[in-house]
Amino acid sequence: MKKTVDVSLPIGPLHPCFKEPARIRCETKGERVISAEMDLGYVKKGIERIMRGRPWQEVMFLAERICGICSVIHNMVCIETLEKISGVEVPERAAYLRVIVNELDRIQSHILANFSYCYTIEHETLAMYLLNLRETAMDMLELITGARVTCAYMVPGGVRFDLRDEDRITLEAALDHMDHELRRYVGMFEHGPLVAQRSKGVGIISREDVIEAHGVGPVARASGIPESDRRCEHPTYQKLGFTPLSYEEGDNYARVMIRFDEVFQSIDLIRRCLANMVPGTIRGGGAIKAGEATHAGEAPRGELTYYVKTDEYGRIVDITVRTPSIMNIESCAHYMLEGVSSAADVTSTFISADPCIACTER
Amino acid sequence: MATSLSYYLREMARGEWLRKFLFVKTAPYETPPHFRDYPRLTGKECTHCLACMMICPTPGAIEVLKTENGWNPVIYPGHCIRCGLCVEACPEGVLMSGRILESQFYDNTGYASTFHITVDRVRCMRCGNCSVACPVNKEEDPQLAATGTGANDAVIMRVKGGELQILHEEKCTGCKTCEETCPNSAIRVARVVEAIHVPEEEG
Repeated sequence: MKKTVDVSLPIGPLHPCFKEPARIRCETKGERVISAEMDLGYVKKGIERIMRGRPWQEVMFLAERICGICSVIHNMVCIETLEKISGVEVPERAAYLRVIVNELDRIQSHILANFSYCYTIEHETLAMYLLNLRETAMDMLELITGARVTCAYMVPGGVRFDLRDEDRITLEAALDHMDHELRRYVGMFEHGPLVAQRSKGVGIISREDVIEAHGVGPVARASGIPESDRRCEHPTYQKLGFTPLSYEEGDNYARVMIRFDEVFQSIDLIRRCLANMVPGTIRGGGAIKAGEATHAGEAPRGELTYYVKTDEYGRIVDITVRTPSIMNIESCAHYMLEGVSSAADVTSTFISADPCIACTER
Repeated sequence: MATSLSYYLREMARGEWLRKFLFVKTAPYETPPHFRDYPRLTGKECTHCLACMMICPTPGAIEVLKTENGWNPVIYPGHCIRCGLCVEACPEGVLMSGRILESQFYDNTGYASTFHITVDRVRCMRCGNCSVACPVNKEEDPQLAATGTGANDAVIMRVKGGELQILHEEKCTGCKTCEETCPNSAIRVARVVEAIHVPEEEG
């Protein structure tokens, strides 16, 4: 009889499946994973230290450079924290424009996350279809803000550019295109026998375990915690009648499907914004005052929290950022990877939690 | 199996499929006109107000230099992050980038900046270097600039009665010359920028 040897299997820091460096140390029995541990710290930037002592117009650009995939939400939460400190009101049109850009960013981030998942389970055709569709969302971001990734769209008291009528028509056409195409791709993912076998029942995390591990974002919502969505507390989203989605299974399949569903939800939210928007001012003015505040928003990966302290001229004295990925990475390592039956499922489970190492290490 | 194979065979037998497979190329990538590129000069006259330099969030990305054609901003692409704030801050429309300049007039948006000077009383040793170096002070009181002593109260800051006093903070243009000349890093200029919808008409 073949003897089973216990092996410590390191995956990373450099691995074709990982977009960013991280290391998973798996204790395995044969190929079955008994326990796993994450090693982080390969791409530390120290960006919070760079932000200190600088005025908002510099910090806002640094904030969106924390993460390259979800840069808009970093900008939005940073600016909303500053607005909370100084009591600045946002005009209605600007509030809707913020939601439009934020949801476009969420669409491209979710599609990119699902692209990585499909790529990791070796379904490259679907992955490339998704990546191609993501370009439509990126083009729309560029159309509204002038840049694909580092949009720098929100400023205290409003947004930088208005949405023109001709751009609105292009945006509506792009939304219809994305809606139509994505339905095909979701059908491929949902009904493809190979995809389902690789994803269903793999990397399960229960509702209690998610609460124990403080999982946030799609990871929490895939395990049946819809109220973890911070968008429920945002006034503009409340006005749009936002209700969070959730799945009960908590496996890789549920985590990918919740992202697909949220893309459809985001498309719907943008359409509702466009319907509700009336012409008006897009900047309300208002200088940043002294004070400190903590504010949280929903990034594509979960709850993003900023603590900011400013002096009387609007310079940042102290800033702390808590990004969602650290909780998701830990819940992945300690709960999802336990009992995974092969080394190939380790990477796919890790990618299904959508880790963003650049966010985590800042 | 047989149906899918026959589907592919029929699909490939179509002339259009074969033509596409052999000859279709991806369209060349064109930078869209709304892309926020590095700022370019529009050809309008620069008045050397330095508003672009003052609002720039990156160190060393833009400088206003004197050439044969007068003052003109120069962009250093290695430092520029293409945020487009200089385009929005310029009151004369000297710079352009993507659609920012166009939409600024379309949307009627702009930035209002004020400058505030803070002096650390512990670090300041009342040498007066800042008040001599300040370019606004030089215009207000040429005697102060030439000799280092002056009694004119129209200047921004002056050593008066053994203390460095800030007399006219509102005249500060935010050039930060005082910060650079201070031997003890005691003086700091803070710029407070406000994003506004209707820009204030000056003059």
